[in-house]
Amino acid sequence: MNKANNTIFVLAFCWIMLAIPIAGFSQKQVTLIFHHKAGNEDLVLGNSYTTALGEKITVQRFRYYISNISITDKQGKTTLLPVEYFLVDEADSLSKIINLSVPDNTIGSIQFLLGVDSIRNVSGIQTGALDPMRGMFWTWNSGYIMAKLEGISESSTIAGHYFTYHIGGFKGPNSTLKTITLNIPQTTTVQELHINADINTWFKNSSEIRTSETPVCHMPGPLAKKIADNYSSMFSINTIR
Amino acid sequence: MKGMKKIIVILSILTTAISWVSIDTLYRKPKPVPFPVPKGWPQPVYDFSKNPLTEEGIALGKKLFYDTRLSKDGEISCASCHQQFGAFNTYDHNLSHGFNNSLTTRNAPGLFNLAWQKEYMWDGGINHLDLQPLAPITAENEMAETIENVINKLKLDKEYQQLFKAAFGDETINTQRLGKAISQFELQLVSSNSKYDKVMRGEAAFILPEQLGYDIFKKKCITCHSEPMFTDYSYRNVGLPIDSYLKDFGRMKITGDPADSLKFKVPSLRNVAMTFPYGHDGRLFSLMSVFEHYRKNMVVSATTDPLLKNKMALSNYEIGQLTAFLYTLTDSSFLKDPRFAPPGNENSGKLPADIHR
Ligand code: HEC
Ligand code: HEC
Repeated sequence: MNKANNTIFVLAFCWIMLAIPIAGFSQKQVTLIFHHKAGNEDLVLGNSYTTALGEKITVQRFRYYISNISITDKQGKTTLLPVEYFLVDEADSLSKIINLSVPDNTIGSIQFLLGVDSIRNVSGIQTGALDPMRGMFWTWNSGYIMAKLEGISESSTIAGHYFTYHIGGFKGPNSTLKTITLNIPQTTTVQELHINADINTWFKNSSEIRTSETPVCHMPGPLAKKIADNYSSMFSINTIR
Repeated sequence: MKGMKKIIVILSILTTAISWVSIDTLYRKPKPVPFPVPKGWPQPVYDFSKNPLTEEGIALGKKLFYDTRLSKDGEISCASCHQQFGAFNTYDHNLSHGFNNSLTTRNAPGLFNLAWQKEYMWDGGINHLDLQPLAPITAENEMAETIENVINKLKLDKEYQQLFKAAFGDETINTQRLGKAISQFELQLVSSNSKYDKVMRGEAAFILPEQLGYDIFKKKCITCHSEPMFTDYSYRNVGLPIDSYLKDFGRMKITGDPADSLKFKVPSLRNVAMTFPYGHDGRLFSLMSVFEHYRKNMVVSATTDPLLKNKMALSNYEIGQLTAFLYTLTDSSFLKDPRFAPPGNENSGKLPADIHR
């Protein structure tokens, strides 16, 4: 190899090393902030609410997975962001804030999966937010619990008046995976997107779910599907900044 | 230009040297271990590329498999219910004993040739070998512990810190590595050296009753208990009626499909002479009771396998020959392999006193 060639290689290498951080800087930041609601009220663990079906409940746990986020810009071009999994947990305020790096923050809509895609359900033990230690994995019937709502309901007929909705299932007819699309009313530049998640939808939407009739959902199947269909419209846009 | 070239050369030599020194002093690369596939067997389904076998990984997995600290009361290890002399079943137990005098609801199967299996447990509910340990660790009637506590116990232990580092390159101890290490040990449990295997390899010959039994087996059993694994890994109902106390509907628990009611995974028959009692809840206490079941006691229902709608005709003569054949599936080198013995007992090579053949 001659000297000129050598120099070109060294220079090219330097450019690449320089280009990496620059590409990083040209990304824009968008922050998703989730607000958990029970109808018009803010959801507070331990507080009592009346569901849309008139049942009095106290919520003790509310958690769900968000993954496979993509952004559609003003030109209608959709960019799938690097695959990452977020466990949003009412009990952990930091988990309700998700920082995203996007190519363009003038956004027309945002899409994400409510749940964990099927490939992660069949690939052994995962780490981070997907670590089975987080209590969102069924060990006896491999698969993630996509979303969880637990508490006490006066109408529940089981010991302790508990209701526990563990919603999961990723296979064929039992799939509870939901793709959520939130449209930004007027395509605007977004720094913070405040999103509401209303637990009332779990009980009343396409189906009516009563803790008096079905206090427990602990496996994939028709009940889990009904509840997932219900909660698939729990998200709405609160404010845009 | 010349000066710059010199600097580049010196810098690259330095960085390489530093990286080598640090690799050498801080971390010895784990030693890869091959996974030979026995002649004539299909390729394993376990994805070794995601969990390459190493000496250090296997040693760590074995220590975990035999460690009672994986349970809440520190009394129960995987090996409490999976004993080598019973081909890693719970020897001579219909159900196994778990935490606080509880009982499992199913018979503990032998553990071997797990690399060829796609789904685990009698109902196939677990879809990856790495995930399997999380079920017994957290089950109230098995080890009754939380994953978090197990990981915390391991993190506090100096020896485990070193073993995880030796196996995986750094000291991180997490659920994924726990599962991978246990898998590495379990994947070693290959049983492929029975008399049957030797006959197939041309190293031995069946005596007459064994040969006759093999011929009958090929006619009556092989659709479900297919060679060379002696199972086709399907789920079938062979007419064991529901136990009114255990209420175990098998595969239906996983799929929710009534068509799967009372279906259970076809068990391998390798080492079957050692894995009594039989059936998913161990209700059949001997090979003879299995045969009596197939020919007399079956309860045929809507989901009973089409092959067995009229039960199975078996003469006493055939039962004798079949039994002779089934005994050729015992792999005594596997049952005594010192590599699988409890840590520290590798050289005793002794069978327990109560073993009766
Ligand atoms: C209290 C007894 C008990 C303990 C402790 C126990 N097991 Fe098991 N094991 C069983 C029983 C019973 C089954 C069958 C369960 C079923 O099918 O639902 C089983 C099934 C299995 C299987 C599936 C085998 C197959 O062919 O599908 C594997 C693998 C296994 N155990 C490994 C382990 C490991 C690893 C540990 C330790 C982390 C462990 N077991 C601890 C009783 C136990
Ligand atoms: C239709 C498929 C099918 C056929 C044919 C069949 N088996 Fe089975 N076998 C099974 C299933 C499924 C089980 C487990 C049943 C359960 O526990 O619910 C089983 C269990 C067994 C067991 C108990 C093993 C253990 O570890 O628990 C033995 C032994 C056995 N079969 C031997 C035979 C023999 C010998 C034949 C031929 C004479 C035969 N089977 C034919 C499907 C079959």
